[in-house]
Amino acid sequence: MNFAQLLNGVAFGSLLMILSSGLAMIYGLRGVTNFAHGALYMAGAYLAYSVSTNFSFWLALIVAPLALAVLGAVLELVFFRRLEHRSHIEVGLVTFGIALVLERVIVLIWGERTLAVSAPGGLGGTTSVFGVAYPTYRLLIIAVAVVLAAALVWWLRGTRLGLHIRAASRDGETSAILGIDSDRVSLVVVCVGAALAGLAGALAAPYVSVDPGMGVSILINVLIVVVIGGAGSIAGAMIAGMALGIVQTLGAVLLPSLSVLVPYIALVAVLLWRPAGLAGKGVAR
Amino acid sequence: MNSVATPAPVVEHLPPAEPVGLTRRLALRGTVLALVIAVAGFAVPYLVPDKYTMGLLLDGIILALLALGIGFLARHLGLISLGHTAFFGGAAYALAIATQQWGWGMVPAAVFGFAVGTMLALLMGLLVVRASGMGFLMLTLALGQALYQLCVQTVARPYTGAYDGLQVANEGTFFGMGSATVMNAALFWPVVWVVLVVAALVLWWLGRARFGVVLEGIRENEERMRFSGYNTFRPRLYAFVVSGAVAALGGVLFALNAAYVSPDLLSFTKAGDSLIAAIVGGLGSLAGPVLGALVYIYAQATFNSSGNLHLYTGIALVLVLVFLPGGLTGGLGRLARRLRKKVRR
Repeated sequence: MNFAQLLNGVAFGSLLMILSSGLAMIYGLRGVTNFAHGALYMAGAYLAYSVSTNFSFWLALIVAPLALAVLGAVLELVFFRRLEHRSHIEVGLVTFGIALVLERVIVLIWGERTLAVSAPGGLGGTTSVFGVAYPTYRLLIIAVAVVLAAALVWWLRGTRLGLHIRAASRDGETSAILGIDSDRVSLVVVCVGAALAGLAGALAAPYVSVDPGMGVSILINVLIVVVIGGAGSIAGAMIAGMALGIVQTLGAVLLPSLSVLVPYIALVAVLLWRPAGLAGKGVAR
Repeated sequence: MNSVATPAPVVEHLPPAEPVGLTRRLALRGTVLALVIAVAGFAVPYLVPDKYTMGLLLDGIILALLALGIGFLARHLGLISLGHTAFFGGAAYALAIATQQWGWGMVPAAVFGFAVGTMLALLMGLLVVRASGMGFLMLTLALGQALYQLCVQTVARPYTGAYDGLQVANEGTFFGMGSATVMNAALFWPVVWVVLVVAALVLWWLGRARFGVVLEGIRENEERMRFSGYNTFRPRLYAFVVSGAVAALGGVLFALNAAYVSPDLLSFTKAGDSLIAAIVGGLGSLAGPVLGALVYIYAQATFNSSGNLHLYTGIALVLVLVFLPGGLTGGLGRLARRLRKKVRR
């Protein structure tokens, strides 16, 4: 184990952190696990491929989140809002169906083969970090995640809209009585959550392989992160995402044969120790 | 958001089951009906002359066992599981390993496979039945996928064959049937059919008995049941194990018939597919998951070559959930009631 591997863990953890904070936000507000989150991430990566091959990767980092925010608005307006009175689990299953459709549509547009996205100019090489040569692009992922985490915390803690989001997540009915426009809050949250998934996908495109299985494989990790972090807790999801990324990557070095089991073992251990998750109001809701 | 009430059950749109206990007369009637259905089913291989359709039908009723298990939990506890593939696939793998690695005959291997599938259900149940709603869904998914990952690991290759899967060495006989017989859809059909009908009868019986009423009480309001002095953990665990055991039966029969097991059996896709089959068929009745499984297998045979199967199953899932809660059987039931009303007028 060396320093570069630790950084790899942090880079992977950064992706999980961005993805799971969006999922946790939607879960906190809507009570719905968005099974389409993996498909949104996948859409972000494929969009990034098209934009970066035709224009530039930097543009992709803007276009993918914006496009996904629009998709998020569609999700909210067509499904979440119309199915508000249904049980959460039914809406969750609807997102499961949407994920299947979206993943297939992506494959129909871009094809089955694995696509390669190259790191943007100037970031293809390595940078020396404490004397260790490390791929510069992965440092960018880490930097973006850190900035994003700080921005999210500021947004939720320091702004009026953030206050409304927190209030609506805690108790939607009471906050609606107090005059918070829950429809607007919910639209913003789902759009931001989807945009974060798109950004994670675009960031991941040069780092992992862009292939039709990428959505499903990360979805399970992200779901585990959200449960471990405490369903609905954004801070919990961020910490759990980072921790899982590091543990899983280091586990791959130390115990190569069993590292894929690390998330599951962590899940069971955390649930036996703290059934509500690390920072949670409880998964048993 | 923060209310103490348990989440609304997934079957809230369906008329609640009549809260009658299992009277002797009702039990007798149900058993006779099951007998009639079982006997009538024996005619199927004679009515379906072509091998291809027969194979599809058999695949359909094997998948139906898995869907039936999932449907039982959903109907009586409002719990949606994405982990039942672990019991289906786990049982199939246990059978394959017993025949292939240890040279067991078909019958002991089948018993072993069923036992392993049921044990897995017990282990998973201990960890998950306290959760409900979304938490339950995510936990069953995660634990089911843990088994998948374990199965495809390089360390597990000597036992499970990892991604290559494993042949089932069908040695000896299965209640008088040789390996060629169990692999023939028409000849194996009566066995699977009887198992399916018996499993459905047992589930019906459990659902109608006091046990089922307690389960429904827990589904409606777990907290109130606890206040009323009921232990709510054990009934949930038993229900989970029973539904897992039904899925395990399906896995055993699948492995015997296909004579080959692959990690696909444990995959996320399989978990989603079986759940979709159960939901599209309808979670409100025993017939729903069976119908759903048959429709699913038909759709699979039709659309798989184009690769668009999941496009259509995804659309079907969304449409059924949004417009036809209660699934196909629920919709047919409503239609039948409306027609009957018109006829009476």
